[in-house]
Amino acid sequence: MPMFRRIQVSLVAATAVIAGLATPALAQSGCELKIGSMGPMSGGGAQWGLAMDGAARMAAAEVNAEGGLKVGDRKCHVTVVAYDSKYTADGAAAGSNALAAEGIHFIIGPVGAPEATGIKPILGRNQQIAWNGSYAKDAVTTRYPLMFHLGPGPGGWADSVIKEALKHWKIQSVALIAPNDQGGTDIVTVDEVAYKDNGVKTTSEYYQRGTTNFAPIITRVLATNPDAVDTASSPPGDAGVIVKQLRLAGFKGPIGRNGGPGTEEILRVSGGMDVLKDFYWYAGPPDTPEARVIDADYKKLLGKDQTFGASLWGDLPGARMTLKAISVAGTIDDVQKVAEVLRHLPVDDPNLGKGVWSGQKQFGIAQELMYPFGVGIIKDGKEVGVTRVEPKL
Amino acid sequence: MHQFLEAAIIGVGLGAQYALLALGFTLIFGILGVVNFAHGGFYMLGGYVAYTCVAGLGLAYPLAVVVAMLATAALGWLFELLLIEPLIDDHLATLMLSLGLYLIISTVVLAIFGPISMEFAFPVTGSFHAGSVYLPRENLIVLAVCLVAIACLWLVLFRTDLGRALRALADDRAVGMAQGLRPRLLFPLAFALATGLAGLTGALVTPILSLAPGVGEPVLATSFLTVILGGLGSLGGAALAAFIVGLVEAYTSVYFGGSIGALVLFVMVLLLLVFRPTGLLGRDVRGA
Amino acid sequence: MDDKAVGLIRRLGGAEISAVLVFVISFAIPLLTKNVMIYSVLNQIMVGVVATFSVWIMLRMNLLSFATPAFMALGGYTVAIAGQYDISDAVVLTLASFAVPALVAIPLGALVLRLRGTYFVLVTFVLAQIMQLVLFVTPGLTGGSNGISGVPPVNLFGMDMMTNQQVLLFACGLALLATLITAALTRYFRRHFAAIEENDVLAESLGLVVWRYKALGFVISAGVAGLAGFSLVNMLLTAHPSSFDSIISVDFIAYSIIGGRVSILGPIVGTSLMVYATNLFGTHGQYAQGLYGVLILIVVLAARGGIVGSVTALLRRRRAA
Repeated sequence: MPMFRRIQVSLVAATAVIAGLATPALAQSGCELKIGSMGPMSGGGAQWGLAMDGAARMAAAEVNAEGGLKVGDRKCHVTVVAYDSKYTADGAAAGSNALAAEGIHFIIGPVGAPEATGIKPILGRNQQIAWNGSYAKDAVTTRYPLMFHLGPGPGGWADSVIKEALKHWKIQSVALIAPNDQGGTDIVTVDEVAYKDNGVKTTSEYYQRGTTNFAPIITRVLATNPDAVDTASSPPGDAGVIVKQLRLAGFKGPIGRNGGPGTEEILRVSGGMDVLKDFYWYAGPPDTPEARVIDADYKKLLGKDQTFGASLWGDLPGARMTLKAISVAGTIDDVQKVAEVLRHLPVDDPNLGKGVWSGQKQFGIAQELMYPFGVGIIKDGKEVGVTRVEPKL
Repeated sequence: MHQFLEAAIIGVGLGAQYALLALGFTLIFGILGVVNFAHGGFYMLGGYVAYTCVAGLGLAYPLAVVVAMLATAALGWLFELLLIEPLIDDHLATLMLSLGLYLIISTVVLAIFGPISMEFAFPVTGSFHAGSVYLPRENLIVLAVCLVAIACLWLVLFRTDLGRALRALADDRAVGMAQGLRPRLLFPLAFALATGLAGLTGALVTPILSLAPGVGEPVLATSFLTVILGGLGSLGGAALAAFIVGLVEAYTSVYFGGSIGALVLFVMVLLLLVFRPTGLLGRDVRGA
Repeated sequence: MDDKAVGLIRRLGGAEISAVLVFVISFAIPLLTKNVMIYSVLNQIMVGVVATFSVWIMLRMNLLSFATPAFMALGGYTVAIAGQYDISDAVVLTLASFAVPALVAIPLGALVLRLRGTYFVLVTFVLAQIMQLVLFVTPGLTGGSNGISGVPPVNLFGMDMMTNQQVLLFACGLALLATLITAALTRYFRRHFAAIEENDVLAESLGLVVWRYKALGFVISAGVAGLAGFSLVNMLLTAHPSSFDSIISVDFIAYSIIGGRVSILGPIVGTSLMVYATNLFGTHGQYAQGLYGVLILIVVLAARGGIVGSVTALLRRRRAA
């Protein structure tokens, strides 16, 4: 009876796969605390995801070096599980579940606005705290109280950056260039408002993510004769090409970057200080001797160089505060309790200085970490320096 | 007016790069029937090999470009011989193999070089200005090399025995083999020629744009577009279409902006296919 | 087993019956366990398998389609936009998420089905890219680059499907529905499809009205993709452009080829294996992509005709021996 045999075969083949799934990953017994790191770890935004991972690993190594994290009367060894959420909403949602299956309640990440959008609604279901570093307009909301934000976003810094730039250059009009997805549009709309508040006229130009040659876009932008061009949240590699091609096209005005760290990479890709010439940017955590200690400690603890620059400095406090909150709350499972402790922890990082819990004004919920940040200025091919801006509410 | 000229210059520059990529892509498809998803991977690899030669080994840039072309050609040759060849008649399987290879190439590059863009600058900089129209020197050199490469490919394909053999196989494999052509020798060679072109383009273009693990992805989409427009398997069509795509991209982006520009390009290709289902210069092709 | 039963099974198709049974059985899993990982993976499989059916239907006619994400987006956004008008009835939404992409597929099919072979492949790739751009340039309707978040849970028989378990059960239901549609279509027209797959020019010359079956397949395939979009939006409670990126079509194609294109069980096996692997590899951070690539190479080289095809061939050989 060949037909019957074939059904059997089909059935076995189909059910075997489903049965194969039923191997739950058991949570480790003993006091081992697993935390997650999440973000794009391959593809275009990989450096940001890997910086998140680096920050989580460093914070874990710090407490492990002291014999583990004190939780109640136990000392817990902290390990990190990374998840590549691929800069997509689905990736982050799947990542939250995958990490939950490993018994992980604390996630350092994700990075991008699409990822933050995807993970937010399911944090409550999975009882997880997450720290997104996105610049999304709704990075944290009252509806999803387990989401925290590694701030500040453009709402926190754009005004300061523009004010600083206006001290150095006469800017009456600016053209903003950014990708046409959420990672671009959310930031540009905030930047536009900040420019207008400072009396600067704006035009915005969006390009399709994946564009490699910006010459046509630049020709279009320069036709409007802007005094300045702002590369907003274009990825640093793209922004580097934009700068290079702007200068090749003969643009002499200042170029800005109201959209996150990456100036070192822009400098490398564009071809150096002489090309960059006049540049203003949001510099993230200021480059201080104390911040540099992080790099030295990273090398000591993890045995390799810290290659993510200020991105890692900005991500580290989230990981450190989470571990501290777990320790103060005295539990590694009661997420609500840890979140409650976290919200009231003083914001004072040994390397980055004193900060505040901001976000009440912009998001309606004060779950955004804001530390002092810098505004960098390069004038005539020379670095004028980074002005330190103290966080204010 | 100067915008109009500017767009033309940019468009021709883009077109030359697209042509090198699309020629390789259509060569692989026309001769082997393989839709090469790893084409962007070879482009990226070309950039990284050239970078390593310049920054790591201290080679002169022109030499590094040659090394990059040879290295990507060698990898393409091995890949065809060892993995594609046994499954050559299963088009879906070869498509999957090239996809798998692409994922592996990107991961290896990411693991070795890290996620951040490399400091890889073209040795010649600056631009000519004529009134308000500008012409970057580096783009001019890349354009010249691309055109020379296209000319060389032309000579190889239309003036040598090897070229005749390859074209015969592309036209009709069964007849070609009956005439005594040996696919086991020629197929890997054709693959290597195509991936070498992609590597060459990568080595030439990444220093004037940027070099990071993601740069191969758009290459695939552009090659797709160019090859559909030109007509699959048609070398002349691919070259013609590459310049059309370059010019349309330049003009629409300059006059309508990035998002709309891309949309116009896609819709244009769609419409062309409605009226000429085999592309500009294509002929009817085998199934997928 | 008596001959009558065998005859019936043969007419309905052994693989098709098994496929339907798999999804009927799958309802039990969310009732038996509360494991988060199983829920998560199973839910992704349920979405993926429906999308893969959409690719597989086209493969039955020897057409490789990259357009699945575009039709998924149509289905998914239909549901999300309906949600903004407080429409959450499961039956209405299911019908709408099937009908909207199917209707759009009628004129599109008239355009693209004239193309054969690789032209069809490439043009569907372009379609998926166009859809993505259309989403970006219509922020008023689709929320643009931000998408539509806060989609309300669907309402089935007066009950809001809110919990993880209910969401998964609903996904199982949609997958079962998609299986029934796919099985009915490919089983009923199996000879027509087989003729087209073998050689559509010959089939046409023998009197088969090829375009009619191709159009039917394309429209149903679009509708099934729409169901997948619905299931995905329901899982994420968000319709976001990144969920419908043209590149995800590569995944669905991989699922159906790796599983095997010869049988309806192929998409099921392929999707289950690859989704499971993706989740397994996801926790390897930057190496995830490479591991996935290696897996593709291994399966393609080791199992010609996909996993189901190879297993069937192996068993047939053993039986013959």
